[in-house]
Amino acid sequence: MNPVETRGLVKTFGATRALDGLDLTVAAGEVHGFLGPNGAGKSTTIRALLGLLRTQGGSASVFGLDPWRDSVEIHRRVAYVPGDVSLWPNLTGGETIDLLLRMREVTPDPGARADLLDRFELDPTKKGRAYSKGNRQKVALVAAFAAPTDLLILDEPTSGLDPLMEQVFNQCLAEHKAEGTTVLLSSHILSEVEQLADRVTIIREGRTVETGSLAELRHLRRNRVQAEITGQPPRLDGVPGLHDVAVDGTVLSCLVDPEGLVPLLEALTGAGVRSLTSTPPTLEEVFLDLYRGAST
Amino acid sequence: MSDLLAGTWGLTRFDLRRDRILATAWTFFLLLVVYASATATDTLYPTEQSRVAAAELINASPAAVALYGPILDVTSLGEVAMTKTTVLYGMFVMGFGVILVRRHTRTEEETGRQELLAATVVGRDAPLASALVEATLVMTAVGALAAVAAAAGGLPVAGSVLFGLSWWGSGVVGIGVGAVTAQLSASARTCGIAAAGTVGVFYLMRAAGDVGPQWLSWLSPLGWNTQLRAWSEPRLWVLALYPALAAALVGTAAVLRGRRDLGGGLLAERPGPATGSPRLRDVLALTLRVHSHALVAWTVGAAVMGAVFGSLVPNLGSIFDSPTGQEMLARLGGSGAVEDAMLAAILSVVAMVLTGFGIAVVVRGGVDENDGRTEQVLATATPRGLSFTAVLAVALLGTTWLLLVTGVATGIGYGAQAGLSGPLSRSLGAALAPLPAAWLVGALAMLCLSFGSRWAPVGWALLVGFVTVGLVGELLDLPGWVVGLSPYSHVAPVPSEPVDWTVEAVLTGLAVLVGAAAWFGYRRRDIG
Repeated sequence: MNPVETRGLVKTFGATRALDGLDLTVAAGEVHGFLGPNGAGKSTTIRALLGLLRTQGGSASVFGLDPWRDSVEIHRRVAYVPGDVSLWPNLTGGETIDLLLRMREVTPDPGARADLLDRFELDPTKKGRAYSKGNRQKVALVAAFAAPTDLLILDEPTSGLDPLMEQVFNQCLAEHKAEGTTVLLSSHILSEVEQLADRVTIIREGRTVETGSLAELRHLRRNRVQAEITGQPPRLDGVPGLHDVAVDGTVLSCLVDPEGLVPLLEALTGAGVRSLTSTPPTLEEVFLDLYRGAST
Repeated sequence: MSDLLAGTWGLTRFDLRRDRILATAWTFFLLLVVYASATATDTLYPTEQSRVAAAELINASPAAVALYGPILDVTSLGEVAMTKTTVLYGMFVMGFGVILVRRHTRTEEETGRQELLAATVVGRDAPLASALVEATLVMTAVGALAAVAAAAGGLPVAGSVLFGLSWWGSGVVGIGVGAVTAQLSASARTCGIAAAGTVGVFYLMRAAGDVGPQWLSWLSPLGWNTQLRAWSEPRLWVLALYPALAAALVGTAAVLRGRRDLGGGLLAERPGPATGSPRLRDVLALTLRVHSHALVAWTVGAAVMGAVFGSLVPNLGSIFDSPTGQEMLARLGGSGAVEDAMLAAILSVVAMVLTGFGIAVVVRGGVDENDGRTEQVLATATPRGLSFTAVLAVALLGTTWLLLVTGVATGIGYGAQAGLSGPLSRSLGAALAPLPAAWLVGALAMLCLSFGSRWAPVGWALLVGFVTVGLVGELLDLPGWVVGLSPYSHVAPVPSEPVDWTVEAVLTGLAVLVGAAAWFGYRRRDIG
């Protein structure tokens, strides 16, 4: 049984369909990247999985349980970091960390806690209102990472962190993954997910657009080819699936769909090639492609 | 205009737009009290003779003078009519000024919204300046309309205008107090407590001065409201004192503002404990902790208020010996023994005020949900029902505790003055009789919260509505069913009359029903 599973999940707010038949499967022990632009429905999905929202259609299960009915049972095995962390103004960061752990029915382990405070360079004696956005995020991250858990749900967890702290975050995530924790990591920062995720689900307007491992997704998409030509630029009329062709002096660059790769290489070889690079698309390009809804 | 003030006018319009409901409601409430007091006096005291008798009686009682201020010209219709509004409601006007300024300065800084604006073409001093301009505009409207309401109620026009100006003056002083206190702490709540304390000191200084050394009254802006003598032989120069003090306070605030950073306070934020106490383990402990400072402040306030009122009660007796006094007393909602009636009348109003603590807790619950803190709690192993119950329990038990404190403090103050035995049970009875009504209002606020976090502030509207109906309903001869809308109006005036257990049981039952409905609603709805 997969720790997280939704089928055709629907959530409406008045006339708006925030989730419109969303499918999401997170397998045990994997880091699952959950990608989408702002307003795509990532946070809504997460709130539905936590039983904070009532859905109108489809099904959702976490550890095989119903998120709405069995929310407390589920939450005993979950640690959650919201996208926009808001702290109680008159509680210190340290108090908040311990409180959140205790409310998860975990007894704070002073060693693990001190280690994390050290690594995240967080001062636990400040009052909630005195923390910056990044530091508020660190409070929630330390509370989430300070105890073993079955499922980590992280909603854009690094949006306020500097690059050094992002490294610390990546390490912590890797450590938890090594212990077998399943992670649902929502983000619109592609490089972050590319580094950490085993599989990704890309959503848009409340619907799943793509899901699979990064390798699988790359198969679906086009390569960027750049070639330095020795002779006359070849005629490429007969090559299918070619886009954004540009010739700059002797350098030709273009995007090519998988089915066009062989004809393109034949045409280039005919023209004489001095150097050739072919790069798989970054997730960024996959992402932009999908958002444009482009198949052209 | 200097760069530091760039954007002031735009922000002023923005502030006015944001206050359109709050300011209208406050103004309407204050005007209603002025109009009701003005029209009712003619019916209460039809002849000049009866008026003079009533005024002399008030002056003869140190307790009444301490509460309302002296009546300097006993023959003046206006002064007798405005006994309560001059100082007591003048204090509300001052508080209104404080609230408006704090709302647009410190609260905005604490939430970080002001930072958003500060990065636009808005000068460093513009948020404070615009809050001051906006609040002054509102106070000007309140003062002008209060003058109109007094005159419309049948009082002399010249006096009404001066009375309106004295309210305007109280308001601008409140604005100054709000401006200074807003600079003190990074916490809007701490600033609010400092401001409430300042206004309280003004009131107590005036009370002490009016019954003792008069120079003390002159040190308090609320004392000026009486000393202006708006209704006969006015001392016009007193009107200059308000803006002078307000200007000095605003100047101080501007200097203080220049010495601190955006979002910072003059009182440095002290570091707190690095670890959470083992007692801070669940949502109930959390809710209690969030409200602990407010609860302490309210407890001190309730104890002081109770002790002061309690010590006034034995002195009040002499006022009501005359027939007109008895009639006035009946209008306060009591009959029978004068002191008992006074206890019942005062503590029934205090109960409404203390319900405000419960409403504040519920409204805070809505804010916590809006800001995403409730979401973090509910993402742990905390059941929804428990998070709801924590808010409900702190709101209702907090109100219960405050009424208990008031009852005990009143009894102690009363007993110390009168040297009587048994005042404690009577004052406790008077304080606790309205408790089921307070529970019902708190439960209604929870019902609002159960519809959605943004509905929680409607709890304030309900409380203000009930208070208004209770205070002006009979003065304005409103139909019985309108007055009956307020749960407080059904409670028997204990200890004048025995406790009406049927009413208490019905109110408690309704509170349970409404609370249960809210509980079911809350568990079924979306969070956030």
